[in-house]
Amino acid sequence: MNLRRVETSTWIYLAISFLLIFIPFIVTGRSMQFIFIQIFIFAIFAMSYDILLGFTGIISFGHVMFFGIGAYSTAVTLGRMDATIGSFVLGAIIALVIAAIVSLIVGALTLRLKSHFYAMLTLALAGLFLVLAEKWRSVTGGNDGFTFSLPEFFRDSETMYWFSLLSMVLIFFGLRRFTRSPFGRVLMAIRENENRTESLGFQVTYYKVLASVVAGVVASFAGVLYALSLRFVNTAVFATDLTIDVLLMTIIGGVGTLIGPIVGAGLVEFAHHWLSGLADVHWIFERWIILYGIVYVLVVIFFPLGIVGTIQSKFMNRPVRALRTNRKSDGKKENRKGA
Amino acid sequence: MELFISLVINGLATGMLIFLLAAGLTLIFGLMSVLNFAHGGLFIWGAYTGVWVFQMTNSFTLGIVAAILIGLLLGLVTERLVIRPVYGNHMQQILITLGFMLVLQELIKVAFGPDQKAVFPPDFLAGSFMVGDIVLIKYRLFIIAVGILVFVIASLILKKSRIGLIVRAGVMDKEMVQALGINIKLVFMLVFMTGAGLAALSGILHAVYSGVIYAEMGLEFSILAFIVVVIGGMGSFPGSLFAAILVGLAQAFMAYYVPALSLAVNMLLMTIVLIFRPQGLFQVKG
Repeated sequence: MNLRRVETSTWIYLAISFLLIFIPFIVTGRSMQFIFIQIFIFAIFAMSYDILLGFTGIISFGHVMFFGIGAYSTAVTLGRMDATIGSFVLGAIIALVIAAIVSLIVGALTLRLKSHFYAMLTLALAGLFLVLAEKWRSVTGGNDGFTFSLPEFFRDSETMYWFSLLSMVLIFFGLRRFTRSPFGRVLMAIRENENRTESLGFQVTYYKVLASVVAGVVASFAGVLYALSLRFVNTAVFATDLTIDVLLMTIIGGVGTLIGPIVGAGLVEFAHHWLSGLADVHWIFERWIILYGIVYVLVVIFFPLGIVGTIQSKFMNRPVRALRTNRKSDGKKENRKGA
Repeated sequence: MELFISLVINGLATGMLIFLLAAGLTLIFGLMSVLNFAHGGLFIWGAYTGVWVFQMTNSFTLGIVAAILIGLLLGLVTERLVIRPVYGNHMQQILITLGFMLVLQELIKVAFGPDQKAVFPPDFLAGSFMVGDIVLIKYRLFIIAVGILVFVIASLILKKSRIGLIVRAGVMDKEMVQALGINIKLVFMLVFMTGAGLAALSGILHAVYSGVIYAEMGLEFSILAFIVVVIGGMGSFPGSLFAAILVGLAQAFMAYYVPALSLAVNMLLMTIVLIFRPQGLFQVKG
């Protein structure tokens, strides 16, 4: 279709990724590098959420369970076996397989029903995983969690930085390819009008379930990286707060844009860092989640396109991919893109 | 036998508490297709305010009244500020109510402090009866009585009064009700406030029942209410009572015999219902 536009944005993204490679030489502090690593990891997590929320129109309140599955699988494997690359790969594979199976089952059960069933079931199931992680002490160490040693390769903060960056960039381009494939187009059609897509002869449930599996697997990989970056895992990886964080990142950045969640992850993580630092100044900053919640509610009401979405719809004449799906002008704009 | 009866009473008491929470959820959903994830926030505000007034004045009745009042008030605020701006857009509603839930939960920590608080039952409800060999704990019987009372009153209002007629008609076909010149938004606001009041009542009753309150309790307990709404059928009032008792009993028996699985059994119940009867056990059809 329009190869030139694709090429320009790809070049821009590649250029930014290239610049990001040199951050560890400028920012040498371990804690600052750690924030960047967290941003990359949560960007991956938020992008996987965007596949559900932004591209398919599915709301999940338990996306954190895949993240937690990833984190625990890696941690348990590395904790029980030698700290080698081999056991890391094994842990990652276990994480991805379990996430795929769980998301397949959950999706097959609820995605044929209306959207709120998926939202509720995932919320409840994530709660179940949290309880499981707390109770199954022999494996998970309960609430206190456990530490484990990393393979030699990941011990360096800089290596971890580059590995997370590389993962994020690869996953970004992979998911972008995925959403622009015929399969991704069908997902967007489902988001815009599920009934119409079905009457065009597409097996809507099949597409939705597969989208949830992709999202689950990617989220699980984010969890794998998270465990690696902390060298520690506890039940916090199943907490609902993380789902809310990732919702916020996706929505502030812009749903249905893929680059939006990355921007959102950056903003939220930095805000997180600064606001907790401000706790000494005023006690209200200790409760920064309130600010998050209020910002989040305001964004959903007044700013539903998010940062990237707003920029795209205002300046780049791109179709509006928003929570407000009943816009008639979408089709027109879509056509104009080719011109 | 004694064990069996006391487990049944446990289960019924828990079931009634879940029912009070789920009744509002299911009616709100049935009437306006709003899935209110902030319901747990109203629950926890009812619990904290009620307990605060109860400990200040030493009167449990006043505590209950205060809880219901704060529930009604917060219900009004939630409906006006949070739900009304996004009417007709399911996705935004679901997202926004969860965000508001978070705000409510954190505001609790600001207002009452982040620590757990212990709560003791009032004197006239403390202790137990002995009937033969069976120990009947007064407070549990009290909860069951309140639950039945609420169910009976609400059913009577739904079945016999004009507003009940409008609500039932609205659940079946809200466009038609609107076409008949009834301000369904006003009706919805009243239903929302009532639901919020019931959630707050459930909160204070649960606070005394469990003996401890903490801010995350709201979200945890509302997950049970969601399960109940799915099992009972979204929008069905009797369905929510039946499913709540089912979930309460399952919870009580599992908590005694296989404690680790007490949440899992409810998930299992919900899964079975979703597979075989996704519309819920009691379906409301319009």
